[in-house]
Amino acid sequence: MMKTLPLLEARQVFKGFFGNPVLKGVDIALEPGRVHALLGENGAGKSTLINLLSGALRPDSGEIRVDGVPVSRFHPAAARAAGIAVVQQELSLTAELSIAENIGLGAFPRRFGLIDYAALSARASEVCELVGLTESLCTPVGDLSLGRRQMVEIAKALFRKPRVLILDEPTSSLSAHEAGILSRLIERLRGAGIALLYISHRLNEVQALCSHVTVLKDGVVTADQPLAGIDAQGLVRLMVGRDAGDLFPAWELPRRGEELIRLRGFSSGLARDVDFSASAGEIVGIGGLVGQGQEDFLLGLYGAMGSSAREAVIAGRSGPLKSVEAANAAGLAYVPADRKREGLVLPHSIASNLLLPSLGRIAKLGLRDRGAERNLVARLVKRLRIKGETSRPVQALSGGNQQKVALAKWLPLAPSVLLLNDPTRGVDIETKREIYLMLKSFAREGTLIILLSSDTPELVHLCDRVTVFGEGRAVATLPRELISEEAIVGAAMGINPKGSAP
Amino acid sequence: MNIAFLSRQNLFFSVQRRRNRGLNGLYIVVGLFLLAYAMLFPGLLGISGFSKFTQNWFPLALVTMAQALLMLNGGISLAIGPLVSLGAVIAATTMGGPLGPIGGLLAVAASGLLVGALIGVIVAQLRLPAIIVTLAGSFIIGGIALIILPRPGGFIPDWLSNLLAGNGPVAFGLLVLLLVCWKLFLATPLGLGIYAVGDNPVGAFRSGVPVDRVRVTAFALSGLLTALVGLFVAAQTGSGDPVIGTPFTLNSIAGAVLGGVGFLGGKGTMRGAICGSLLLSVMINVMFFLGFSPVTQYVAQGLIILAAVAIPELTSQWSRKP
Repeated sequence: MMKTLPLLEARQVFKGFFGNPVLKGVDIALEPGRVHALLGENGAGKSTLINLLSGALRPDSGEIRVDGVPVSRFHPAAARAAGIAVVQQELSLTAELSIAENIGLGAFPRRFGLIDYAALSARASEVCELVGLTESLCTPVGDLSLGRRQMVEIAKALFRKPRVLILDEPTSSLSAHEAGILSRLIERLRGAGIALLYISHRLNEVQALCSHVTVLKDGVVTADQPLAGIDAQGLVRLMVGRDAGDLFPAWELPRRGEELIRLRGFSSGLARDVDFSASAGEIVGIGGLVGQGQEDFLLGLYGAMGSSAREAVIAGRSGPLKSVEAANAAGLAYVPADRKREGLVLPHSIASNLLLPSLGRIAKLGLRDRGAERNLVARLVKRLRIKGETSRPVQALSGGNQQKVALAKWLPLAPSVLLLNDPTRGVDIETKREIYLMLKSFAREGTLIILLSSDTPELVHLCDRVTVFGEGRAVATLPRELISEEAIVGAAMGINPKGSAP
Repeated sequence: MNIAFLSRQNLFFSVQRRRNRGLNGLYIVVGLFLLAYAMLFPGLLGISGFSKFTQNWFPLALVTMAQALLMLNGGISLAIGPLVSLGAVIAATTMGGPLGPIGGLLAVAASGLLVGALIGVIVAQLRLPAIIVTLAGSFIIGGIALIILPRPGGFIPDWLSNLLAGNGPVAFGLLVLLLVCWKLFLATPLGLGIYAVGDNPVGAFRSGVPVDRVRVTAFALSGLLTALVGLFVAAQTGSGDPVIGTPFTLNSIAGAVLGGVGFLGGKGTMRGAICGSLLLSVMINVMFFLGFSPVTQYVAQGLIILAAVAIPELTSQWSRKP
């Protein structure tokens, strides 16, 4: 059997960050004239693999091969020279410059040291035609919609006449019409012998466009095979399923109290028209792919972002909360995902971070009450098992212990609703378990916990119910008996979960 | 079809035209102020009056260009004033010496390039914030200027003073020449890199723009312009003064901001900045002619700058609301 030589391949690449392995011996081979799909859950290692293939990162071990030849000291310029182009999720455009100037940036045709605007214009209009950009070439990119900018980004990649084109979620901001143009373009490029790597969370697109698939799970390849003969459910199965071990506490039936949150047609930021309800003592999960409006939903609930609703009852008050102060007064507390920037004052001591939300509350006659403060800190440190001298700055703590401080500081206010945004991101296993136990005990005491997580197993093992977001809408709400990794990932990817009630 | 063909033919010029976008308001305001000034002081329309006016404006225009160049690139400089002083004292101490006027000019240009490039390397390589590096630099450069020439003095040849600050519109001619140079620079990959790095450094890096080199170039060119302003000011006053540049630091920022150059990089145009500096200059002249007291002038200047920043911000907020 004739085998085509791959244009670009990774062989047994390993890559870790801060001792945390992300890729563990991954192989992938991009062949000319083939659209190759790369699938995987949040955090499976897709972005890291793309960065290795485009030279933005170097593997710890293993090798990258271009035309079958191993390349040492691979870097972005070498990748560009080898004809590898990447269309990243975040745009690389300059708002003030025109479409043509953006397309040519970094690869301008020159004459006498100056940009050859005539040549630029001719070649840029060629690639614009390919991607269906009809705007005048002199239009500043800042005037375009997000979808059109994405098309400029693709045109920019094509301008360099790539042999390998890596598309990372290219359709996430495209309209249906633009996505149609893109899929015809991909067909055409494939026909021209270009090797394409297509990363998408939309399985129907993948099935329509791609002929080969590599599935990553926790940094390991779980499938590398032709796409024919494997259905959507099968793909999802390959992406999920992790050995959870005894990381999670046993699930127990919640003692449901009064209904604390009831929303109809709630919108804030990306989150649109969400129906949602939750009661005291529950742990309700918020899942889905990263950036589908989950965070905006929490921030809207918390009053940190403008929101509107047809009907809203939050902790006994009707109408959406207008400010963080109002939310705190109503008994809501929010633990942000970015604890370093939003959750903690890093150079300050553990004690003063813990006291921050309660300073006003335990003051006497407007002055601080040192004795009461000391008692409170001692109580919190004991309850949350925060290690370390409380006079040390928070930044000296490990990520896990920092997270515990960010969580603990709200406890003196006895919140009735605890909103958690990815509380275990970047936290070691041991602390994860402690956090899970803490959440369980808060719920047992009657706190409503709303847990937004990008870690699907966490949602499966901890939550009494999981609401899955997709493109800003709550696409499914899974009751306990239907929660599984397959169901959550499936719902997020637009496969109708069995028996889901919205 | 025809239109597409036409725009393809003249991409460069249509891009240039597009850059006027959003500046019409500024053009009108500058025009009105110029008109008011010409009415108060009809001498402006004569050769000599025009020359004097442009000579007053010229240093401000140049430092504003120097500042705008950095702000477009996502930086800023608090060392503009001291660097003007340094240029002035170097000019005043070298032109009478063995180097002669030409050697002095080269010495001023070289020191400006060098100081600018040095600041650029520190900012780009050590990834330190430009505002802090140039704040520190302003003390160091100001100190060096005082060491070179502790009190005003030195020597500037009369013919140079007469040439630059006499009755001919030489300064205006130089400004036009500089603008042409800027246009040419902006038509090079490095020049457009200034915008790309200012707006989206990560994206620019991924596109293959040599980010660090662009940053260093921006600081070096800005330093060159600033030091040359020192030479001009020395020629204007006929001597070197080690603290003469001080007001230029904040005025350069004011001019750039009036001209619509954004603080976060990549936003604004050089023509806007030039107009901003012209507005500032005419404004001061008009207020002087109207007999405003110096204190009132300062307050009015501050209010106008505040309004220049606030009005676009407010209108964009209003237009965003349904």
